[in-house]
Amino acid sequence: MLKFVVRRVLWTIPIILLVIFMTFWMMRAIKGSPFRKSERAVPAAVLANLNRKFGLDKPWYVQYGKYVENVATFDLGPSLVLRNQDVNDIVKQHFPVSAQLGGLAMLLAIVVGVPLGILSALRANRVTDYIAMLFANLGFAVPSFLVATLLIYEFAAQLRWFPTNGWTSADTKVLPVITLSLGPLTYFARIVRGQMLETLQQDYVRTAKAKGLRWKRIVVVHVLRNSLIPAVTAAGPLLGFLVTGSFIVENIFAIPGIGRYYVTSVQGRDYSTVMGITVLLAILIIVANMIVDILYGFLDPRTRDART
Amino acid sequence: MRKPRFAWPLGLVAVLFLALVAAGCGGGGSSGSSSTTTTGTSGNANASGGTLRMAIGSEPPSLDPGLATDTTSAFVVLNTNIPIVYLGPAPDLKAEPGLAQSWDVTGKDVTLHLRKDVKWTDGTPVTANDVVYSWLRTISPQLGADYAYQFYGIQGAQEYNACKPSAANQQCDTMKSKVGITAPDKYTVKITLTSPQAWFVQQLSHTSFIPVNKAAVDKWGDKWTEPGHIVTDGPFMLKQWKHDASLTLVKNPDYVEASSVKLDTVKLNIITDGSTAEQTFNSGGVDVNETGWPPSDTPQIKNTPAYQQFPSLGIYYYGFNIKAIPDVNQRKAMALAIDRKTIVDHITQTGQVPATAFTPEGIPGASTINSESNFLKPTADMTLAQQYMNKVSSPVKNVNLIFNNAPGHKEIAIAIQAQWKKLGLNVTLKQQDWPQFLKFLGPPPDPSVSVYRNGWIADFPDDFNFLSIFQCGSGNNNTNWCNKKYDDLLKQATAEQDQAKRYDLYKQAEAMLTSKGGDMPIAPIYWYTFAYQVAPNVHGWNTNPMDEIDLRKVSIG
Repeated sequence: MLKFVVRRVLWTIPIILLVIFMTFWMMRAIKGSPFRKSERAVPAAVLANLNRKFGLDKPWYVQYGKYVENVATFDLGPSLVLRNQDVNDIVKQHFPVSAQLGGLAMLLAIVVGVPLGILSALRANRVTDYIAMLFANLGFAVPSFLVATLLIYEFAAQLRWFPTNGWTSADTKVLPVITLSLGPLTYFARIVRGQMLETLQQDYVRTAKAKGLRWKRIVVVHVLRNSLIPAVTAAGPLLGFLVTGSFIVENIFAIPGIGRYYVTSVQGRDYSTVMGITVLLAILIIVANMIVDILYGFLDPRTRDART
Repeated sequence: MRKPRFAWPLGLVAVLFLALVAAGCGGGGSSGSSSTTTTGTSGNANASGGTLRMAIGSEPPSLDPGLATDTTSAFVVLNTNIPIVYLGPAPDLKAEPGLAQSWDVTGKDVTLHLRKDVKWTDGTPVTANDVVYSWLRTISPQLGADYAYQFYGIQGAQEYNACKPSAANQQCDTMKSKVGITAPDKYTVKITLTSPQAWFVQQLSHTSFIPVNKAAVDKWGDKWTEPGHIVTDGPFMLKQWKHDASLTLVKNPDYVEASSVKLDTVKLNIITDGSTAEQTFNSGGVDVNETGWPPSDTPQIKNTPAYQQFPSLGIYYYGFNIKAIPDVNQRKAMALAIDRKTIVDHITQTGQVPATAFTPEGIPGASTINSESNFLKPTADMTLAQQYMNKVSSPVKNVNLIFNNAPGHKEIAIAIQAQWKKLGLNVTLKQQDWPQFLKFLGPPPDPSVSVYRNGWIADFPDDFNFLSIFQCGSGNNNTNWCNKKYDDLLKQATAEQDQAKRYDLYKQAEAMLTSKGGDMPIAPIYWYTFAYQVAPNVHGWNTNPMDEIDLRKVSIG
């Protein structure tokens, strides 16, 4: 297992270099300048000063080298748009917010989604199942900007149970966490239900039943463990995406997370911020996938040997 | 079978589901009844104290006066500092004392006499040396300030800004010493301009001329604008800045006219989404919604007492690439066929004014300047447009109209496309993302461009700032139109200190653009306005046509 982990960690280095290179190349390919924000022409001298200040007048390989150096030294340089902030500041201040939002949403998704899927499977093709699956399909289909707007309208503007925006006290966090969790929650519910139904048909379940084992024990010990593998597989990348922020949810609820910066910095061609956040996202997804692989080994001993 | 052991999640799910459904139904049933609720009771306009809570649309990219370029940053900078001059009431927008209590203008020479009682929040006096230091800092090539060009009217400033600094190149220092800004004594600033510029003192109201505190800049570098580091001299001080979430301003007790400031605290909540800002205002979460709202809600909001609207020195216009549409009669026909009133009433909907000339209504002297430009009308004049179209010997039937993909542009383009179709023109709409749009815009514009969308917001409240766009060689003239006579008129205006004579020169220039006898390189569409939701217990809410909100005048209660 240790060898496996070490190998995976070492593998992240070329992957991150590749991510930097591709991001760098794509940002160059879409063209544009961080310094043309309005219709107003920027005088040539001003543009030259800005390009010089931020090193954009250098050849591409020098710029690429600088980005790699920045990432290696954990100093992501100044933002090209937010003139008094470093990318390090931006990540430090806003990533924890997104991580908390994403983490809570993931928790809610698991705590509600998994039992919902189990319940649905155990009560398959009955009213409970139909209601649960109607909810699951609806929750998956309705886009988050609509859910967010409806929740704000009803619970914040009309009933006034929660604030409309922000990320300060606990009550500000309820609506955004529900909004963000709805997609993964319903996804978990459907994936667990499907796998569980399949597991329930397995011979070993029938054997267990025939042996006269208690139903609760069959479900908890035999069915559940084998039904969670696809959910765990899905959870890794999902967690990676959730904790790196959601542009839509953060924007609508005015949450100072990193997700907003990711989109606005691409639009604003804030190269250093794009690069910083991309690398962070890449590392998180790599780590999440690694954790999943390790968990996988515990859930399914058959896969353990194959990897070490 | 077994009793369900998983009843609680189902309960929770059911509650969520029902809540969602209820929310959906509620939305449909009472969408017209959003109430304006505010905290506190209505009181007199001179009440002092209190906290004003505002929704603002973005994180201020910089609170450094030398680097701030957007309206959100400018709003905070203006209310935490004292500008060199304030702008007086519309329509004249005359310069009024700010940090400078008086000034003398003799040709190219401007002398500012500063107040002697202004103190930085660190207790030191604000002096002429601060002004000289700050201006040279903003002009310096090292700072990389967008608004360095605001200083280009000062002798030597453009040359210094264009200097390429390097260890080997000592020229920059020489150039710096040649910039026409000096401090002959502690409270006097002398400026030498490149030419007489009648608007220069008004231009000093711009936030880029606000001095910065050298000690704070030296000590903290780029981080000097953070709370705890920042040193200012204005009515309010920055107490807290939670990036991308909120800013808190508190009254500066040592502000030179502290007794005139009514508010104790101003809390700025950064809410980017218009719908959330609107809901927050409606639920009493903020007293002023500066962010805005979804355009579709405008008709409803306009009917509430909270709606407040102010004129702006800004114009939305279409420019013609005159190489693509060379016949002036066709350009006139196209300009006449635009139904400006329909566009502002049904598309933009926030009280914009149909523009019948390029010079905005709110610019000082506009009534004189635009007196000859009565050719274009708010509504379309299809009969006259057709008459002009008939005069065109070889009309350009296929027209390419480019615009960037920001909200609203497409709807306007579609409306105009339909009008131009009536003249027999085939208009192809080309929506482009921002960098691509800029590339096609030029100048010169891409040969494929026949018509482009554009806009302009004033840097300083003088028509020169608008009309100079269409000088030959201007970086903002994307029309290919170049007329030496027009340039001469503006050159004369630059030197003309007599206001009436200057307005007359502007009138002649404006006539060359949009009057009956003009060249019509552009088709004005509408003049901008600013609109807000303001709770009834907020008094003195104000925005001048330069989009400057002066919180000294605002009270709550």
